[in-house]
Amino acid sequence: MNQADVSKLISKLRINVAPRHRNLKNPDGPEGRLLKLRKTVTGLIKHERIELNYNRADEARGYAERLISEAIRYGDCHRTTMELADFWLLEKQLVHKLFKVLVPRFREYPISYTRLLKAPDSPGIAFKRAVLELRGNPYPPLTVDSTRNRALLHNVLLDEAAKAYRAQKVTGVTSEILEKIEREHPSSPAVETQESEVTKSPNISEKSGVLQEKSSEPSYEKT
Amino acid sequence: MPVSVCTLLTRCAIREPTFSRVFRRFSHKYSRNEDVKSRRNEMFTAEKKRQREAVGRVEKIEVKYLGVPQDTTLVMNKNISTPFNCAQHISELVVKRSALALLDGVTLWDMHRPLEAACTLQLLHFKDSDPFHVNKAFWRTCSVVLGAVVTESFKEDIPVFLHSFPSPNVRSGSFVYDIELNVENWVPTKDELRVLTGQMVHFCQQGHKIERLEVSVDLALDMFADNPYKSQQIPDIGSHSLSGDKVILYRVGQHVDISKGPLIGNTNLLGRCSIVAVHLIKDTSKPIYRFQGVALPQGLLLNHFAYGVLENRAKILNPARFIPASDL
Repeated sequence: MNQADVSKLISKLRINVAPRHRNLKNPDGPEGRLLKLRKTVTGLIKHERIELNYNRADEARGYAERLISEAIRYGDCHRTTMELADFWLLEKQLVHKLFKVLVPRFREYPISYTRLLKAPDSPGIAFKRAVLELRGNPYPPLTVDSTRNRALLHNVLLDEAAKAYRAQKVTGVTSEILEKIEREHPSSPAVETQESEVTKSPNISEKSGVLQEKSSEPSYEKT
Repeated sequence: MPVSVCTLLTRCAIREPTFSRVFRRFSHKYSRNEDVKSRRNEMFTAEKKRQREAVGRVEKIEVKYLGVPQDTTLVMNKNISTPFNCAQHISELVVKRSALALLDGVTLWDMHRPLEAACTLQLLHFKDSDPFHVNKAFWRTCSVVLGAVVTESFKEDIPVFLHSFPSPNVRSGSFVYDIELNVENWVPTKDELRVLTGQMVHFCQQGHKIERLEVSVDLALDMFADNPYKSQQIPDIGSHSLSGDKVILYRVGQHVDISKGPLIGNTNLLGRCSIVAVHLIKDTSKPIYRFQGVALPQGLLLNHFAYGVLENRAKILNPARFIPASDL
């Protein structure tokens, strides 16, 4: 087929894009809508974290993602990309930020470049609010990462469970080795005593088993 | 011979004839366990009222609160206001999430225990940077709640005597209560454990406030006269207390139990919980069982696989030492 692969013409975004755009009702019509979005995208690139109405944030997010991914894909020597940056960024010094700061930051990112969080409802504001931010921004995080703090109760329990599992595994391996030794040298009295010890005191077996196994290793090599 | 236990608990969703034999029925209106429970509850209420009235003239104390949303100074009533009341002055978030109070940065204080002097106040919760003490209090609370749930779950012909629970150790993987059950060789089925778990979830969701009360040994002995183990333990606990003859009681819902404390403020701070195993303790004259469970605080979420790992670990017999009451 001589047709171009359509999926490669436009950069694939890592966010969900709704099939139809939002009109974002405006007295100036579509142009007014675009101006609104340009202001938002400019604000996002400038401040890296902004709070605004959810609809506008979600709409602007797609354009910001597209702008950054084009910048990463084509670089600053590409006329179309430059025009795109010129269109979306109302403050022209941000074009430098886009290519010199954001492109290096996001070049290796496997996930989306922006993050959209729902902001809590506040009394007096009827619209849903949201926080839109660039990833890797210098501000303190908005969400708590509960996996980081190992002192939280569920993490304490999980860590101990992991420890117990590993200990059990070591015991299993030790007993396997002992069985193997017994199979190879069924008449060896030393091994028999080991086995009986193991059955009597499961707590001690782990350590003593390992120690005895190690000390007996060289003698097997000689024989 | 293992007893079929489907017959032991009172509220079973599964309608098998065997089930109805052991779990409690609603028709048992005047039952022994119930009588004992309500008597203890009334005595607790009366003593609490007496202590409140003994406060006399209301004095004011300054409490300096440190924490979110901002540090403030509150003027509260001496021996009447609790850290919970302070939280009510601050914000709803603080009221809902606080599990334990820390006075002057050193003393752990229950949420519903009246403040005795001017102090600084910090309110601890489960997502603190180091929640060690809250976790411990949580584990202890789980044991107390487990006792409450087991007491009211069995049928009337099966007397339940709470024995004791060991000092809480979160790292052991399970919270524990040792309980005498007049059933020989009970091995609970999965369904029975599920019913017990359901009872516990139901109990916690009711949001019982956990109240603390310091009472004299004599009163405690009177309250726990029916329980042979507790009445043996009480004089010993009293002699080890700071004042020499005080026992600390906690009330959860209508259930009253002895504990050194501190406990968390409310049962609705318990999130996911399950009772996973019941082991018979060996070498005791009467059948004493070790009930074991695992729980997470409200707001700490875990996927079902990880929680399953915790449940499986909690099934193993908890190594905490069992101290027979006669050894005290």
